[in-house]
Amino acid sequence: MVTGAERPLAAGLAQALSTAGAVVVEVSSDDVHSRTSAETAFTAAAATLGGPVDIVVHAAIPEIAFETIDFDQVDDARWEAVWEATMGAAIQVLQLGFEQMRGRGGRFVFVTPTVSMSGAARLVPYTTAIEGIRLLAKSAARQWGPDGITVNCLAPAPEHFPIGVASIDVSLAPPALGGPGDAALDLGPVAVFLASDASHALTGATLCADGGVWMAP
Amino acid sequence: MSGSEGMRGSGEPDVSAQPLAGRTAIVTGAGQGVGEGIARALAAGGANVVVAARREETGEPVAEAIRDRGQNAACIVTDVTRRESMAHCIDETVAQFGSLEIMVHNAFRGGTPHRLEELSQELWEQNSRTAVWGSYYSAVLAFPHLRAAGSRGRLILITSPSGVEGSVNIPIYSPVKAAQRAMAKSLSREWGEHGITVNCIAPVAETPALVSAFERNPVLKERIEARTSLGRIGDPERDIGSVARFLASDDAGYVTGQTIVCDGGSFMGL
Repeated sequence: MVTGAERPLAAGLAQALSTAGAVVVEVSSDDVHSRTSAETAFTAAAATLGGPVDIVVHAAIPEIAFETIDFDQVDDARWEAVWEATMGAAIQVLQLGFEQMRGRGGRFVFVTPTVSMSGAARLVPYTTAIEGIRLLAKSAARQWGPDGITVNCLAPAPEHFPIGVASIDVSLAPPALGGPGDAALDLGPVAVFLASDASHALTGATLCADGGVWMAP
Repeated sequence: MSGSEGMRGSGEPDVSAQPLAGRTAIVTGAGQGVGEGIARALAAGGANVVVAARREETGEPVAEAIRDRGQNAACIVTDVTRRESMAHCIDETVAQFGSLEIMVHNAFRGGTPHRLEELSQELWEQNSRTAVWGSYYSAVLAFPHLRAAGSRGRLILITSPSGVEGSVNIPIYSPVKAAQRAMAKSLSREWGEHGITVNCIAPVAETPALVSAFERNPVLKERIEARTSLGRIGDPERDIGSVARFLASDDAGYVTGQTIVCDGGSFMGL
């Protein structure tokens, strides 16, 4: 299952997973927004796949998260819509995915753009929420390791999402590999690796595939 | 001085140094533990300190103890999860002391061990509302005063090494503590033009919460001590408060967007 597939990055990852032999169910960010809709999405996915979900790639995030805004203009409604909604969806996806993977193992891949690690002016709600997801993945990795479930993060360049490029940290070096890469061709193989048996010994990790900008640690 | 005292200094705060004289600080969750330690250290550094606590029974004695040392403190009962309560705390602080230069958000509730697959809405809300909404309110409501303070403006968020490492016992604690670190980074970039610095402290200290955890699980103390290079668990005032006082002072004016891990040399992953 690939969530947030209404956007090009997740669609590209879905395409790569499909090319690698997975049967892929794509759902939108709206599909995992509420508990009820997320339950419906997982039930439908299992029905389509003819069995439980083995791999969840979670890239869903509400559109409002990408809006650049001065922090002193942020109100409670926006904080609710970005922080609370993003975390709520991620927790639901983890819990519902876990139900299907329990006793059999599985793979979670969370898409967490590098901007949460570098920080960005006028993107406080967005970066706060993404870093929340990134650590949710680490905690889940620690708890569910014994169940054969790995939880990792794939960190693409923020330019894969519709955020104001001007707000991205100007102090960072240019991408060593020339650019943010193509979703299906450049990031896809990294998602496939994290979804495959080859990454069985890797969990709680963040793989930065941003063309070589963010190099910490 | 015993060997284990090491470089800890005399053990008493250096009250002759007043790097924060004429400045006012709010410390949330200052009724006990790390918040209390920070409140005491900032007051010892010369700041007027508002002990923002959910309950007067815990907050007022801390303020009184500070006043007994001849320093300035007031307790304002504050619920960090409610905008109007935080707004009242900040307005009242400025009314009483004339300015607000240093905002420290430390209050937290929700450290109950749990499984992620069984996470209750109630526990999520305790974590999210105190750590993340509390940081948001601290930042957004203090901003006009911090901006007016210019290069003396400070926002300090108390996070945790768990916010970097993840946690197997209290998994939902990690994302809310990580969220605070991201907020500090982004805000430091956004508010740099005003001279305001935004930093995090990730402490491990002997707080009432930790002491009661030790009582339930005596092995825990040894385990935590064994993880630290210095072989001891931090003191809220001497070991953590002193770092907050440094970050609040002019000496740390060029440090922003950072997390200082104060855990005796346990987590070294930054």
